[in-house]
Amino acid sequence: DEEFDELCFEFGLELDEVTSEKDIISKEKGEEKAKGASDTVLYKIDVPANRYDLLCLEGLVRGLQVFKERINLPRYEKIIPAQGEGQRLIITEETVQVRPHAVAAVLRNITFTKDRYDSFIDLQEKLHQNICRRRALVAIGTHDLDTISGPFTFTAKPPSEIKFKPLNQSQEYTASQIMDLYRTDSHLRHYLHLIENKPLYPVIYDSNGVVLSMPPIINGDHTKISVNTRNVFIECTGTDITKAKIVLDVIVTMFSEYCEKPFSVEAAEVVYPNGKTHIYPELAYRKEKVKPELINKKIGISETPSGLAKLLTRMCLKSHVIGNGNNIEIEIPPTRADIIHACDIVEDAAIAYGYNNIQMTIPKTYTIANQLPLNKLTELLRLDLAAAGFTEALTFALCSQEDIADKLGMDISATKAVRIANPKTAEFQVARTTLLPGLLKTIAANRKMPLPLKLFEISDIVVKDPSADVGARNYRHFCAVYYNKSPGFEIIHGLLDRVMQLLEVPPNEENGYTIKATEGSAFFPGRCAEIFAKGQSIGKLGVLHPDVITKFELTMPCSALEINIEPFI
Amino acid sequence: FTEMPTDNFVESSFWNFDALFQPQQHPARDQHDTFFLQDPAEAPELPAGYTAKVKKVHSQGGYGSQGYKYEWRLEEARRNLLRTHTTSASARVLYRLARQEKFSPVKYFSIDRVFRNESLDATHLAEFHQVEGVVADRGLTLGHLMGTLQQFFTKLGITQLRFKPAYNPYTEPSMEVFSYHEGLKKWVEVGNSGIFRP
Repeated sequence: DEEFDELCFEFGLELDEVTSEKDIISKEKGEEKAKGASDTVLYKIDVPANRYDLLCLEGLVRGLQVFKERINLPRYEKIIPAQGEGQRLIITEETVQVRPHAVAAVLRNITFTKDRYDSFIDLQEKLHQNICRRRALVAIGTHDLDTISGPFTFTAKPPSEIKFKPLNQSQEYTASQIMDLYRTDSHLRHYLHLIENKPLYPVIYDSNGVVLSMPPIINGDHTKISVNTRNVFIECTGTDITKAKIVLDVIVTMFSEYCEKPFSVEAAEVVYPNGKTHIYPELAYRKEKVKPELINKKIGISETPSGLAKLLTRMCLKSHVIGNGNNIEIEIPPTRADIIHACDIVEDAAIAYGYNNIQMTIPKTYTIANQLPLNKLTELLRLDLAAAGFTEALTFALCSQEDIADKLGMDISATKAVRIANPKTAEFQVARTTLLPGLLKTIAANRKMPLPLKLFEISDIVVKDPSADVGARNYRHFCAVYYNKSPGFEIIHGLLDRVMQLLEVPPNEENGYTIKATEGSAFFPGRCAEIFAKGQSIGKLGVLHPDVITKFELTMPCSALEINIEPFI
Repeated sequence: FTEMPTDNFVESSFWNFDALFQPQQHPARDQHDTFFLQDPAEAPELPAGYTAKVKKVHSQGGYGSQGYKYEWRLEEARRNLLRTHTTSASARVLYRLARQEKFSPVKYFSIDRVFRNESLDATHLAEFHQVEGVVADRGLTLGHLMGTLQQFFTKLGITQLRFKPAYNPYTEPSMEVFSYHEGLKKWVEVGNSGIFRP
């Protein structure tokens, strides 16, 4: 197991868990239910999001074996049948409105076993979830070719005109009935919306009117494949042609291993509404040239060109040295759709070399550094506020609407708050426009601590601002609260004076700060003042209103101060 | 390392994803489980010339890349969200650097809050802090990155490091950094890194 873990680590895979079916059931349902379950060791492997060729056992094993130089990368061959003998998929123009693209191919004389069959179905599901973006971009359909006969037609029809027996059902349904049938199906109901409200639904027929599938929802029962299937017709339909081609290439390269002529795929012809035809799968092999110096330089190693060529070949990128040794020609197979730039090739060379074999060096970049003035001010204030006997708190920036409005006696529309569209709970509905609720909630969670509770926080609040390029901005606020048997207005006022003293702002109107009595919805009437400095109002201080105290589940008097410190940078 | 300005929790999809070559329809974008905003829902202002370049690279390729070859949509890039990583701030800073008349090498860092739409549990919060560092210069290598990371972690008292190949949409090569935890007696991931794609 350690050896495999090590191999995965080097290759770039994560061996998440070593378990067995018995263990999984044991953890979920208890040991009793696990009795009799399989003890065979299962590896849970995490595959990087851009490697579609490693999503099935076949591809994974193939990749690792080439990496360990146990096998050579197989060459995937496209066999074009003689004129008139190949399968054809004709696309009609009705599909343009709903699902315009389609590609197809045939796996001839394939031999399935239970494991291979499961893996085949599993890969389709994984691709559906991953690159197909939950079937929205591409949907895959695989059919037993011996149960149908081409040429096949991919068209779109009104739902009432489509009628067939869906996979694993016992009777025929119309398309509208199928929508209702699967509305409660835990698996399929998520895909219904992709075509539900369209006037025409996509459907694929064979030359006898047998329905192969209604993408992206479900295949027909007639063409379902089993362990005994020998010839498979694969069709991928969708809204993104590039991805449809990649998906088809992945499926056929992975499973052509089990065809009578291994790694050979029978091509199919797709006819477009305008009469043009195209042969699929593409199975394109691309040649790229990269200079060895580039690879060495980017990684920080010095391998010989032939050494580099060997490393790349181990990563399924067959390479050899050309010219007089100053260039490497790399052949990119159809399984590596993730190689889109020379830097992708550089990474593969580095992986084959072994990241941990690269020598670590320090860049010779000489820079003189600075702290951001806003953060520098924050850091200085924090220390002195702690010295003044207040304890720092770190609270969440997201809160509920009530926290910043109702509980403070205000209406939410007056707050200019930024609102979240998809919160998982009510606790994350809006971004805070004031630090006060966070501190009050902190006190509420610490009621058992000895009094007085003196908390502060210097952190960002968020408000809508049409002049900002994203429509909102942060302000750095400083907030302090004093919670005790008596409200302690003089303590909070004293803290403000201390902060101004530290900021070297004198207590006068012309060039310093002043406070003027005012009313505030969160404050006790007659015990609230607004603070003015640098020509603007920077915040308020005062004794909190009993309503506010009660709404935050507190019981003692509390005074608070909150100012914007950005004018003081 | 100079500190980068990160005082904007609200970010546009453009800076958080598109400018970082994260494709618009790829699960990698959902992977971050993002908080999208209802109000303000869209960013009013995006840099026009740069946006056009980003659109081209995604849909057709450029700078030596094949691109993703899909239809890139401006409305999707305008969608506002709470940033999922501080790399969006790095992108802004690098953009500013690129528009300087003369290139000067830089080293930047930031430590600030990011947001992910996850359920809270013993090891996951919806808001947490990230430490980010960027070095831009001529002739930098993967070896330099590893060396810099090693020095950084040594200062935190973490000395046993191993590097593992990883995948980020915006870096290639990418590495996850692992350190041996004496208490847990196993290797744990302590960081992620990479060389920005050209």
